[in-house]
Amino acid sequence: MFDTFSEKKFLLTELVKKNLTAKYKDSVLGILWSFFNPLLTMLVFTAVFSMLFGKNVVNYPVYYLAGRVIFDFYNHGTKGAMNSIRKNARLLKKIYVPRSMFPVSSICYEFVNFLISFVILFGVMLLTGAPFHFTLVYAIIPIFLVIILIFGVGLILAVCNTYFTDIGYLYNVFTLVLLYASALFYPIEIVPTKFQIIFSLNPVYCAMTCVRQCVYGVAPSFSTMLYIGVFALTTLGIGLLMFNIYGKKLTLEL
Amino acid sequence: MGIRNIIDKIFNNTSINYNSALESGVAIKVEHLTMEFKVSNDKIDTIKEYVIRTIKRNKGETKTVKVLDDISFTVNRGEKLGILGFNGAGKSTLLRIIAGIYEPTEGDITINGKIAPLLELSAGFDKNYSGKDNIYLNGALLSMDKEYLDSKYDEIVEYSELGDYINFPVKNYSKGMKAKLGFSIATLIDPDILIIDEILSVGDIKFRKKSGEKINEMMAEGVTVLLVSHSINQVRRICDRCIWIDNGKLIMEGPADEVCDAYVEDANYARIKKEKKMKRKLRKKYG
Repeated sequence: MFDTFSEKKFLLTELVKKNLTAKYKDSVLGILWSFFNPLLTMLVFTAVFSMLFGKNVVNYPVYYLAGRVIFDFYNHGTKGAMNSIRKNARLLKKIYVPRSMFPVSSICYEFVNFLISFVILFGVMLLTGAPFHFTLVYAIIPIFLVIILIFGVGLILAVCNTYFTDIGYLYNVFTLVLLYASALFYPIEIVPTKFQIIFSLNPVYCAMTCVRQCVYGVAPSFSTMLYIGVFALTTLGIGLLMFNIYGKKLTLEL
Repeated sequence: MGIRNIIDKIFNNTSINYNSALESGVAIKVEHLTMEFKVSNDKIDTIKEYVIRTIKRNKGETKTVKVLDDISFTVNRGEKLGILGFNGAGKSTLLRIIAGIYEPTEGDITINGKIAPLLELSAGFDKNYSGKDNIYLNGALLSMDKEYLDSKYDEIVEYSELGDYINFPVKNYSKGMKAKLGFSIATLIDPDILIIDEILSVGDIKFRKKSGEKINEMMAEGVTVLLVSHSINQVRRICDRCIWIDNGKLIMEGPADEVCDAYVEDANYARIKKEKKMKRKLRKKYG
C-alpha cells in the first residue's frame, strides 16, 4: 500500500483538492472570497494607522500586506496541520492511509492559499504605485524557510493535539500573542530598543522582515535568514522525530 | 532513489514490513502479535486535567486489556484462511492490524503483496463531492494512482449501476447507492491479499448476487484470502485452513473442516452447559 511515489502524490493532490473545493463550494464569489478578508482589514488598518505610523512607514498598505501574507501562511498552516489528524479521525480509524498525509496535505493547501494571497499583494503594489524591485526574487528564500518551519511546528502540534485536546485552544492564544509580537501592523521602531532584541528572536517576525525587505528593494540580511533556517530545521527535526515515534499510535488515541 | 526512500520511510508510519523478499510461498507472516488497549473510565485528554491530576495524584486507574495475546501464524500464497471466534474474541482487531490501521503493541507482521481490505467501503466518501470525484478521492485513499483510475473509470461507473447519478453529489445518494459505489471502487484493486470481515452483501437482490459473484471471482484467481465470518457454512465452503481465536489467544489451527467442527461443538457445548445451568436453577427455585 502506498509504495510508489505516484500513489502518494496523487493522494496528496486529491486531499488538497478536497480542501479547496470544500472552501469555495456554493459561494458565488468563489475564490474571490480569499481576497476579501485581507483587503478589508488592510483598508481598516490603513485608515487607522497610516496617520499614526506614516512617518516611519513608506506605503503602509504594502507594509501591512507583505507582513500579513507571511503571518497568515504561518498561522493557518500550523493550525491546519494541528487539526488535520483529529478532523480525519473517522477515516483514519477505518482504512489505512499514511498518517502523515493529512498534516502534509493541509499545509500544501494553505500554501496554495498563500500563493493566491500574493495576487492581492501585487495588486495593491500596482495600485499604490510601489516599485517592483528585482530583490523580490530573493523573497523565495525566507518563504522556503517559513515552509520548513510550518512543517516542523505543524507535525509537533498534530501529535500533541491528538493526545491533548486543549493544545488547540492554547495554540490559538499563542498565535494571538504572536500576532502582536510580530510587528504586523506597526513599525518596529516604535518598540523600545531594549525590547527589539526579543523581537529578533521570533522567527516569524524575522521572516516577515526579510520578505518586507525584499518588497522594499533591500537585500535581506544573511544572518537573519541563517537564524530562521537553523530554527526551522531544528523544529522540523523534532517534528519528524515525534511523528515517527508517536505517529503510529495516533489511531489508538482518537 | 535515496531521498525518496528516506521520505517513504519517514512518511509511511507503519510497523508492518512490506517485504517482497519474504520466502516466495508466504503471503502473510504474523509473529508473536500482542495487542493491548488502554481502557479507563475517564480518559485524560487535556493538559489541564493532566497537570491537575498529577498534582492531586489522582490519575484514575487505567486498565490494559489484552485483545490479542501472542498470536503467530503464517498464510501461504493462494491460501484461504478463515478466522473463527465468538464475539469480542479479537478477530476484527486482528484484521485491522494486518490492514495497518492499528499499531500492534508487540510482534512482527510481514506482508508480501498488495492488500485489498474490504472492511469499510464508503469510509472515504466526501458527501459534497459528486460520485465521479469520489471515485478519484476514494481510489487515491486506497492507493491507486491517476492513470489507473482513468483507465478503469468507465468500468466502475458501469459496474456500480449508477448511470447519470454519478454526476450528482453523494449526499443525495441512497444508502444502497453509496454501498454499490463503494464496493465498485474497493474491488477494483488487483489484490494479492483480500481481507474480508463478513462477506459483504450490499445493495438490492440484483447487486447482491453480482457482488457475491465478484468476490468469488476474485477469490478464484488465486489470491490469498483472510476471512472473518460467523457463517460456518461459508467458511467451510471457501477456506482451506482456519484459525480459532478465543479471548485473544490462538487456540486451534488446522484444516478448515476440523477447526469448524471443533468450533461448532464448543458453541453447542457452551449452549448445553448454559441450558443445564438454567434447568438446575429452575429446579432449585420450584423444586
